[in-house]
Amino acid sequence: MFKYFISIITMFVVAETVAQEQKIDTLSTDKDSIVYKSPYGIRIGIDISKPIKGFIGDSYTGLELVADYRIKKRLFIATEIGFEEETTQEYYTNSTAKGTYIRMGFNYNAYENWLDMNNEIFVGYRYGLSFFEQKINNFTPNVNTSYFPANPIISGQTDNLNSHWSELMVGFKVETFKHFFVSASVSYKVMMFVKEPDNFQTLFSPGFNQIFESGTGFGFNYTLSYLIPFSKK
Amino acid sequence: MKKILTILVLFCVITSCEKDDFCTLNPITPKLVLRFYDNVNKTQLKNVNQLYVWAAGKDSILVNQSTDSISIPLNSIANETVYNFSKGNVVNQFTIQYTPQQIYVSRSCGFKVNFDEVSYISSNTWIADFEVTTITIKNQNAAHVQIFH
Repeated sequence: MFKYFISIITMFVVAETVAQEQKIDTLSTDKDSIVYKSPYGIRIGIDISKPIKGFIGDSYTGLELVADYRIKKRLFIATEIGFEEETTQEYYTNSTAKGTYIRMGFNYNAYENWLDMNNEIFVGYRYGLSFFEQKINNFTPNVNTSYFPANPIISGQTDNLNSHWSELMVGFKVETFKHFFVSASVSYKVMMFVKEPDNFQTLFSPGFNQIFESGTGFGFNYTLSYLIPFSKK
Repeated sequence: MKKILTILVLFCVITSCEKDDFCTLNPITPKLVLRFYDNVNKTQLKNVNQLYVWAAGKDSILVNQSTDSISIPLNSIANETVYNFSKGNVVNQFTIQYTPQQIYVSRSCGFKVNFDEVSYISSNTWIADFEVTTITIKNQNAAHVQIFH
């Protein structure tokens, strides 16, 4: 009689645990179906606004390669390296700056994506460093008299210069095809140090653009990039 | 997205086209400032009447003036400028010798010209004497030469 009772109880216990396990199973599969995994990897690209600017005007040549690497869901390490040559024509001076630069920093994606999309509206910080030379092509002394007009003087004075700066940027990235991104951003730059030539001024720094009187500058990027995914999280 | 892009592009166009400023420091290259004093009472300013001023081989820049102070430009592409000061019909040749030096000022103003090691030669017809107050012409806040007549 006892044996019979125990057997029945044991059967119930087993039945109950099986039912519980089934519940957990169905719950967890539900969760999985909501989470969309997004790719992690390195994204490399090229800024196409600079070659276009070079084609339009003859005072500019430039090339910039960009890369970023996703370290967290919203955080990317980003860098740009490039070369720029720009001739600056002012009222009384004409000078050419050319050299290379690198910018390093991070982007924070502030955009909440729908479903499995990988778009970004990001803010970022960059530290920039540039080594370049600036040559005074010619200048006309500002004599403000037509009685003894001044002639343009061909100078050729060339100085090896460097600069470094900080910049804040804001922009967006759109995945147009799978793993292929179009990105545009603007940046506001603040010069931290710039080496000034003797008896002249650093008017343009590669990677920084024109240096305004207050030591600030603006930048624009239009970038095409391709993501090489390493993993999905 | 299109709206944002338009705003961004517009922002860049506006900021990249902005010129720093116009040169507001004029006159940037100093002129030579002369003041005319009485030859007897040497601290007393004295007007020159019927004053004509012209550089050798050029038109007059002052015609029939009556003044005790003039400022005249110097030739920045030579090492001397020869002026003729005429009082009535008497012409006094006044030669200024110097070393021009280009000094950078700013993006919008470019280079100014300072005149170093300035010396003067006068043919002393109606000008009796002169006194040099500075040998470098960097600004025109004060007279560079006092002329006694």
